[in-house]
Amino acid sequence: MTDPFELLGVERRFSLDRAALEQRHRDLSRTLHPDRYVQSPAGERRMALERAVAVNEAFRALRDPLSRAEALLSAHGLAVGDADRPSQSLLMEVMELRESLDEARRSPDKVAALLAQVRARSGSEEAFLASVFDDQPAPGADALGRARDALVRLKYFRRFEEEADAALDS
Amino acid sequence: MALFQIFDPSARPTPIGIDLGTTHSLVAYTVDGRPECVLDCDMSPLLPSVVHYLEHGGVMVGNAGREKAALHPRETLVSVKRFMGRGADDAETRRMGPYDFAMPEAGQSNTVRFKVHGRTLTPVEVSAEILRVLRTNAEEKLRTIGGAVITVPAYFDEAQRQATKDAAKLAGLEVLRLLNEPTAAALAYGLDKGRTRGTFAVYDLGGGTFDVTILSLDDGVFQVRSTGGDAQLGGDDMDRAFAEWVFRHMGVDPATASPELVRAALDAARLAKHELTERSNTVIAVTAGETTFERSVRRTEFEDIVRPVIERTTPAVKRALRDAGLRPEEVDGVILVGGSTRVPAVREHVKKLFGQEPLSDIDPDQVVAFGAAIQANLLAGDGAQEDALILDVIPLSLGIETMGGVAEKILPRNTTIPAGRAQQFTTYADGQTGFELHVVQGERELAADNRSLAKFTLKGIPPMPAGAAKLEVTFRVDADGMLTVTARELNTGIEQRIEVTPSFGLSGDDVERMLLESYEHAESDLAARQLRERIIEGERVIAATEAALKVDGDLLDEDERAELDGALKALRDAIAGQDGKKIHHRTEGLDRATHPLAERRMDRAVQQAMKGRAVAEIEDTVKDRPEHPHLAASYAADEASDKET
Repeated sequence: MTDPFELLGVERRFSLDRAALEQRHRDLSRTLHPDRYVQSPAGERRMALERAVAVNEAFRALRDPLSRAEALLSAHGLAVGDADRPSQSLLMEVMELRESLDEARRSPDKVAALLAQVRARSGSEEAFLASVFDDQPAPGADALGRARDALVRLKYFRRFEEEADAALDS
Repeated sequence: MALFQIFDPSARPTPIGIDLGTTHSLVAYTVDGRPECVLDCDMSPLLPSVVHYLEHGGVMVGNAGREKAALHPRETLVSVKRFMGRGADDAETRRMGPYDFAMPEAGQSNTVRFKVHGRTLTPVEVSAEILRVLRTNAEEKLRTIGGAVITVPAYFDEAQRQATKDAAKLAGLEVLRLLNEPTAAALAYGLDKGRTRGTFAVYDLGGGTFDVTILSLDDGVFQVRSTGGDAQLGGDDMDRAFAEWVFRHMGVDPATASPELVRAALDAARLAKHELTERSNTVIAVTAGETTFERSVRRTEFEDIVRPVIERTTPAVKRALRDAGLRPEEVDGVILVGGSTRVPAVREHVKKLFGQEPLSDIDPDQVVAFGAAIQANLLAGDGAQEDALILDVIPLSLGIETMGGVAEKILPRNTTIPAGRAQQFTTYADGQTGFELHVVQGERELAADNRSLAKFTLKGIPPMPAGAAKLEVTFRVDADGMLTVTARELNTGIEQRIEVTPSFGLSGDDVERMLLESYEHAESDLAARQLRERIIEGERVIAATEAALKVDGDLLDEDERAELDGALKALRDAIAGQDGKKIHHRTEGLDRATHPLAERRMDRAVQQAMKGRAVAEIEDTVKDRPEHPHLAASYAADEASDKET
């Protein structure tokens, strides 16, 4: 996939103005959405469709802090795959959270409290990512490595948040 | 003396919008941008979605068909939409209905089939009968109709969408777009009220389907944030629950009741439901043959009976709000759609869910057709920049089955369409030469718990050790919400592409055959139709090319321009010569010749969109929306950073 920052013409930063990003997405959609090409020749329709898909995909990547961090790391030449091993302490923390969630399942208030707790953890990881990518002109290998660790933690927290969300559903 | 209407044969065909509903269907069009419904001979916009099959061929659709339902329950198909895209073995299709089903024979696809007068009919064919009547009504009013936008419940899956498209094709309609019903309603509301921004929830409880959609409106762009629902929940379920209550009081077991009695009980329930919308009590009366039953019902009793049905909408609403990241009070307006939202208990429920009085100033029966007509007009227009635009989403996650039967999501629900994503997989056995791919739709962890859409195998891969082969699976969903899956082995380049035709849908051949069989399309007809379609397509490409040249002709050098002019002339000659093959061939030629122009035009348009708004325009925007002053500031920042890099 092409660099989503470049495709949407936004600065390569972790902290993005969400309203501006959405505005950019709307402006590009107005130009490229298949609805604009219903009367066009088949080739042009396909071309617009390809581009509209790419724009939507880039927008999706940048809208979510998690995939945005991935895009930033890969722009710095660091791929984040499933192979990234979580640290022992992270595994322990998530395991404990899971146990608490299982115990709390019958009480929505407790689940909500757990969720808030983990969201706060995610928030501080995001703040750290912002400090790496936004405050330094060219983060070094050490900083990037720590950013990757933060991203792995963020992924685990995200999965937990989704589970807690689902628990609130039932 | 007969009066002849003056008719301009060169007038632009009028695009139409169709709401193909469970209980009734409508067709609408726009006059100066404002939507209007086509009235039938009874001066009603609502055509009951009922098809009665006569013994010696021929059908009665609408009110005439409904009158036959009581005496001919098996030959009169009511609420056929509930069966669209369903498998013959689907338990839901058997719940309390008077129909006689045929199991698929060897070699037939696993779709629902009704047995009527010794022939078998698919829901697609039945729906096509309804669409034909709508088409005829529209043609009587508008003379020449253009393409159609047809609405579907947002929660319709692949199979149900495909079935709807097939029905339209069978009815001889050109489908411009499938549009989600709640989005259509929002379009009608948004444009009607001249609103420019806000967040809306659409609560759409129809005869047989429930949808909830959260969307935001920003300078004419309707962006769906989330959608949810239940494709098998609606007013019909209230009728069934009510009829089951009647059976209990009659001491009759619904499972052994005659089809006539079942039909009569369902009709009586529907009638009483309507009366209880206006009044606080009524009498429910069932008559079938010798059997009669009568009992008075209070509205509160009715509400107790249907409460479980209404309650079933709650989880979807809560989830949609959470998916959109909103609290109920952050919604600026709740739009009611669907006849079932007339039931006072439903309105009360919606009010409780969102903590506000819902909007219903546009007729909930017509609002979806209005939105479809508006969208049809937009699509048929010249695509001016100030037009409204809809950004919709996929309602259910799409993925494939991986090791251990786990469903791996490739496109999660609420992904904006058109969408596309590729994911890599590898082999788990040494020397594996084929990949079996199982495409599924749904939110559950295990593939087996989700809806199976298609299975196919990528074959002919040279033997490699486990994990060495790299399989790239690409999912692509177009603006109609239809999925295409491509699989490619990256080392060898072996590729396979399928349009996902669900295993219980109709194959393309089936639809072609039905087209041939239908009385409207004899063989000779088919050739004439094909020529006509090719001429229209050719003329469309010529018009589009000329329009593009007029605006952006400067993007081509002299040679390119000469080539394009040559291709234009060649196609014009072919059209003059009425040679179908040649027209088709040269249309493709012109299409190819326009690629450089199309590419550069798109680049230019994208650059303009990115540079954005001239400074003056931004200032205007700020004046319009004092509540979002940071928008302009962030734009300025963007532009500054562009210069630095």
